[in-house]
Amino acid sequence: MLLPGLLASQAGGEKRFEVAAATVGEALRALPVADLILDERGEVRPLVHVYLDGERARDLDASVGDRSRVLIVAAIAGG
Amino acid sequence: MGVTLVVGTRKGLFLVHGDDERRSFEVEGPLLPGWSVNHAIVDPRDGALYACANSWVYGGTVQRSADRGQTWERSEGLGLPEESGLKLASTWHLEPGHASQPGTLWLGGEPGVLFRSDDSGSSWRVNEAVLGHETREQWSPGAGGLITHSITLDDADAERLWIGISAAGVFRTEDGGASWQPANAGTEACFFPENRFPEVGQCVHKVLAHPGRAGRLWQQNHCGVYRSDDHGASWERLDENGLPSGFGFALALDPADPDAAFVVPEEGAENRVTSDGRLGIYRTTDAGESWELIVAEEPAWAAVLREGMSFDDEAVYVGAQSGHVYALRHDEVVEAARHLPPILSVEAAAWQ
Repeated sequence: MLLPGLLASQAGGEKRFEVAAATVGEALRALPVADLILDERGEVRPLVHVYLDGERARDLDASVGDRSRVLIVAAIAGG
Repeated sequence: MGVTLVVGTRKGLFLVHGDDERRSFEVEGPLLPGWSVNHAIVDPRDGALYACANSWVYGGTVQRSADRGQTWERSEGLGLPEESGLKLASTWHLEPGHASQPGTLWLGGEPGVLFRSDDSGSSWRVNEAVLGHETREQWSPGAGGLITHSITLDDADAERLWIGISAAGVFRTEDGGASWQPANAGTEACFFPENRFPEVGQCVHKVLAHPGRAGRLWQQNHCGVYRSDDHGASWERLDENGLPSGFGFALALDPADPDAAFVVPEEGAENRVTSDGRLGIYRTTDAGESWELIVAEEPAWAAVLREGMSFDDEAVYVGAQSGHVYALRHDEVVEAARHLPPILSVEAAAWQ
């Protein structure tokens, strides 16, 4: 799993994490910054985009493989 | 003793260290880069630094540092229960609990919610009485959202405190937060022409209880400046006594003088810049009977937000959206910092 800079700073400075997970949701919840990616309902925050092996992952129940790559991207916004 | 001003900005947190005389200041930071810090404090009971750090992507957090900002821990489990139908949008104000309650802190957030921590900010639980308040349907968001931005304690009574929510008004509890009563009698909702004095719905901008005189509160409102001498049961309007405008956000007090208060008037709700083309701090020393002008900067069309003014025993501190910080002591204004990002909050702290 690969995190953008601000999330990495909240995860002890680590950008890359390897987690054991069957689904995208499990993978996200295994991160030390899960509360920043997911809201209190466990839903992905609206301006966080999750990519699974290069494709936008909108379904947290989507299966991940042994060598899947999950990328977290912050929406482009602000000033 | 010197002072450290804890300055929250749209782009990180800064510490502005001042000397004993409040004449020389040094800027440290940014801490928490990338976070918009609506408010930050130093808990005088243990010296810990807390920040309401918000991100438009990652939501609202509370961050705590026990080593003056070198390392941070993020609070866990901050959110609203599913049955409320609400989600936490952002964090706005932190207040250390009563001196008799070490480890207790209060947190205000959006949408109009209050939290309490009893473990020095590691975890928070929502105040159910505010969340499910019987008047909530009458509350409406101001320009900053439906935000709980003021939390002020009664030093003499740990069970009594007041909160300010925009635009819902002031609420008082006398049972430690188990129940809350509206405390808006006499404060105007000038934007409701058909019901200018409702029970709730007022747009309070900042409310502070004086630490030295029981029952005295000051309030900067969307529609005037007010004082209460009966724990908020009634309010007297004061801005018609020499202020250029009743509209403003920031408010500061003098711990040694309950009759003194400081405000920064703005032109009005539709033109939110400081009045008369200058950054003017207006001071009363007669409980609001009259106000005198102290010019911090001229010409200036500045804006000082609701958390943008603070005070200690020595001085009053003002942080503007221009990124400038000023210290007012003995009628002298000193520039403490310049060209910071837009300032959201200033709090004065005393670190040994």
